[in-house]
Amino acid sequence: MVKILAIHSFRGGTGKSNLSANLATVLAMGGRRVAIVDTDLASPGVHVLFGFSPSADQQTLNDHLEAGVPICRCAHEVTPAEVKQARGHVWLVPAAMNSDRIARLLREGYEVEKLNDALFELAEVLKLDVIVVDTHPGINEETLLSTAIADCLMMVMRPDGQDYLGTAVAVEVAQRLDVPAIRMVINKLPSYFDAQQVRERVSSSYQVPIGALLPLCDELLTLASGDLAVLRFADHPWSAGVQQLAHDLVASVL
Amino acid sequence: MAALLALEPAGLRRVLKAGLRQGVEDLPLRELVAQELDCEPGSSAVDQLLAQLQQRQWLVHQGKIWKTRLA
Repeated sequence: MVKILAIHSFRGGTGKSNLSANLATVLAMGGRRVAIVDTDLASPGVHVLFGFSPSADQQTLNDHLEAGVPICRCAHEVTPAEVKQARGHVWLVPAAMNSDRIARLLREGYEVEKLNDALFELAEVLKLDVIVVDTHPGINEETLLSTAIADCLMMVMRPDGQDYLGTAVAVEVAQRLDVPAIRMVINKLPSYFDAQQVRERVSSSYQVPIGALLPLCDELLTLASGDLAVLRFADHPWSAGVQQLAHDLVASVL
Repeated sequence: MAALLALEPAGLRRVLKAGLRQGVEDLPLRELVAQELDCEPGSSAVDQLLAQLQQRQWLVHQGKIWKTRLA
């Protein structure tokens, strides 16, 4: 049965989409069939990491939610060459980048259970092992759904006061929705921060296992979301952290 | 889904959560409700709760599967 990994953060700018794309890639490098779904309908972006931009005749998640286009037609294979060699697959379900489409969907809304049904229909058609759901920051219908249906929720935060407070709200929501597994991911950790202190503070604040402490790094800034760090900088501590997180998920959740 | 989050008691959230993802078949749902109500799966209390949830259209039958519809 497909496993749902929801990548969430209370605030924007935590590196959620980067983590989603790179984590999906690492999991696929293990020979898995992985889809990544951009449910950040208000500010989509994960497609950039795969160098994918839907052309006018290519379907997006919006086409499924608004017009009932079969979800499998909204999924596009973006498997990197290195992942193909490992016999893995990555499909992307992007969200529309057109401002009119975004505004229309936000204005008219949709039944969020459609998104739930779409994920499992996609899993059946593509014979998926994992779906990585990249979410919008904060609490809304899509993020609540993703949290409710997740096998594991990854809460991404920076070591920042506003993130600490907001993440507490999101973790409380997740616990209220009985998410089977939660992992904290502290991203963009400056080198001058005491990692052990941060680890202890996060552990004591949320009583949730820490999935990864990922450093703030120039290499990722250089990539500027234009590529996948786990492929371009495979030996970098950031990539190693994502690989370790994937290893933890494979051992405990997948 | 904000409606799911706001529901009390926790047992009701668990019942409705079971109808998400691929939904839930009748027997496992009845067993879950019975566990929350501390009664037998075949009891009238289970029937009543499921009927009420259906009446509110929070639970719908799709073939052999119960699905949650809170929107």
